Amino acid sequence: MLDKQVMIVNRLGLHARAAAKLVRTASAYHSSVRLERVDGGAVADAKSILSVLLLAASRGTQLHLTVEGADEREALGAVCDLIEAGFGEEQEA
Amino acid sequence: MRWRGVSVSEGVAAGRVLRIHTGGRGNIYRAALAPEDIKREVRRFQAAVRLARRQLLAIKRRAEMALGGEHAYIFDAQLLMLEDRKWLEEVETYIREERANAEWAVKVASDKLLAVYAEIKDDYLRERSSDIEDVMRRLLVALSGEGQSRRLTEDAIIVAEALLPSSAVELDFSHVRAIASDAGGWTSHTAIIARGLGIPAIVGLRELYRHARTGDEIVIDAGSGEVVLHPTGATLEHFTTKRMRQHITAVAGDDVRAPLLTADGVEITLGANVELPPEYEGVRRYGARGIGLFRSEFLFSQRNGAPTEEEQCTAYAEIAALGGVDGAKVRLFDLGGDKQTAGDHESERNPALGLRAIRYSFQHESLLRTQVRALLRAAATGRLDVVLPMISDVSEVRRARRIVAEERARLEEEGKAAGELKVGAMIEVPAAVLVADQLAREVDFFSLGTNDLVQYLLAVDRGNDEVAGWFRTLHPAVLQSIKRTIEAANGAGIPAVVCGEMAATPAYAVVLVGLGARSLSMAASSMPRVRRTLAQVDAQSASEIAHLCLGAATADDAEEVVRVELGRRWPQLFPPENLPAPKSGE
Repeated sequence: MLDKQVMIVNRLGLHARAAAKLVRTASAYHSSVRLERVDGGAVADAKSILSVLLLAASRGTQLHLTVEGADEREALGAVCDLIEAGFGEEQEA
Repeated sequence: MRWRGVSVSEGVAAGRVLRIHTGGRGNIYRAALAPEDIKREVRRFQAAVRLARRQLLAIKRRAEMALGGEHAYIFDAQLLMLEDRKWLEEVETYIREERANAEWAVKVASDKLLAVYAEIKDDYLRERSSDIEDVMRRLLVALSGEGQSRRLTEDAIIVAEALLPSSAVELDFSHVRAIASDAGGWTSHTAIIARGLGIPAIVGLRELYRHARTGDEIVIDAGSGEVVLHPTGATLEHFTTKRMRQHITAVAGDDVRAPLLTADGVEITLGANVELPPEYEGVRRYGARGIGLFRSEFLFSQRNGAPTEEEQCTAYAEIAALGGVDGAKVRLFDLGGDKQTAGDHESERNPALGLRAIRYSFQHESLLRTQVRALLRAAATGRLDVVLPMISDVSEVRRARRIVAEERARLEEEGKAAGELKVGAMIEVPAAVLVADQLAREVDFFSLGTNDLVQYLLAVDRGNDEVAGWFRTLHPAVLQSIKRTIEAANGAGIPAVVCGEMAATPAYAVVLVGLGARSLSMAASSMPRVRRTLAQVDAQSASEIAHLCLGAATADDAEEVVRVELGRRWPQLFPPENLPAPKSGE
């Protein structure tokens, strides 16, 4: 099992488009991918869009990412890269 | 009757109503199931999910093509909801454990989600609940077994209680002339889509949905937020002149009148498809080079029966004046089939293949002769061409030409002026494509009706949801047919105008130019986005892309080529970040 803390950096937070990208990315791996709000709120299965949306993670939210499975290293890297890159969205200055 | 609402997208339009039922939430009941029916109920739910997914995939593809991919992502989120194992299992478990009908289970599971969403503090994230509602309604409609038949073979003005984004996109864009809805609180996505399409939209129209019936005439003026149902002739006219005055100043200084050149200097002509007088204003406003297609059967709806020779003559002269030096192409009445009829028409088993268009006109020859006389007389006042619909070989062209010659002779005998009338063939029946070389020698031009061509070539009923997945505009057979038709026209030295829905979709317009099309005709409101797109692409690249598509084995492959190539070459027009990942498992 691997884990890491990440922060949502894009302006709109984990909205529909970002959530869709996250779910597509996580679903590409066999490992289970879990996201939990560090402030003690909701826990989400990163392969379920409804549960990801329910995190209601706006910009600045800290998430604790837990990945477990055969390809956990790759999965963790891919998901972290995506979140830290702000889901490839243009950032407002 | 008049309404006043809130305009969310500018413009003016008139036409016929198409009522869209978005599926209510209030009328869902709980039914108790017998234990032996539970398995079947779960399967029924799974089938509805599959149908909803198929519909959404088609919608998403359409959104990508028509809106350049910018707004397609909202449907990606909706698709993922239908793939969300956790949620699907929750519904299935509810059906099993509570012995509930699928509709009720969907409602309970969705309401539970919506309740949680309502707690979210962030406005933007909370708004996503509209996606959940959209998906839920789609599932309920799929469960109800009601085919969401969207028989948009003609332009329509959409009237709905509340229009969800997917419903808006599901419709054939180029046929949606305006949107009017009762609900004021529609999601911003639909407003964005309406603006992206350049069609007027008004919301907050109390009870319009209840009063309007599909087929009613309606006028939408997003400038004043006004909607008029059943406008009188005087209202229509007042409206038209009022709008024309307003737009004369707006047009000044605009470059829409400059010739449209591709980035490598190839000239493309954009004409307008029109039907109702209030659209005439858009023709001037968007700088159309003539009327590429005038659907004359609207004259029937205006006066509830066959229009007289005088009435037609006046209408055609007006259209010719509107077309100016570029002229106007009037399509003979396309009656019969599922369209309007002269009233003496019994229902047919297979109307799309039945007595319609030119066949109907030949069968009702006095109707045809009256129309031809009116056209000849109007042609003495301005440039007019006539388009023969649903031609399948040259015998029909010859027969129509003979009638034109006979009526010309009779008019001359009567001492009435008859102008020059060029005769063109609508290429929409696959047989016409195969004999295009022969046809090209006997007509003055071709009009390519891509909507019907796709329907007939692929044997797919456009109005049937169950086969929506087979209606593929980029099917290599469709592209081959278009290429063949254009080449036949070029070989005979006659022009070919592409006037179907395809031309109004920017991505497809690029492919058409690549296939050799130099003349496109579309709803005037679609012209700005097509103009914007074509001015930035080069015909050489378009031709390369078209060549790749022609070599594709399947429609999927051709679409993939279009997505990847357009995104790679013109990322500013077709943003690559919105291009979907290569297909897997779908």
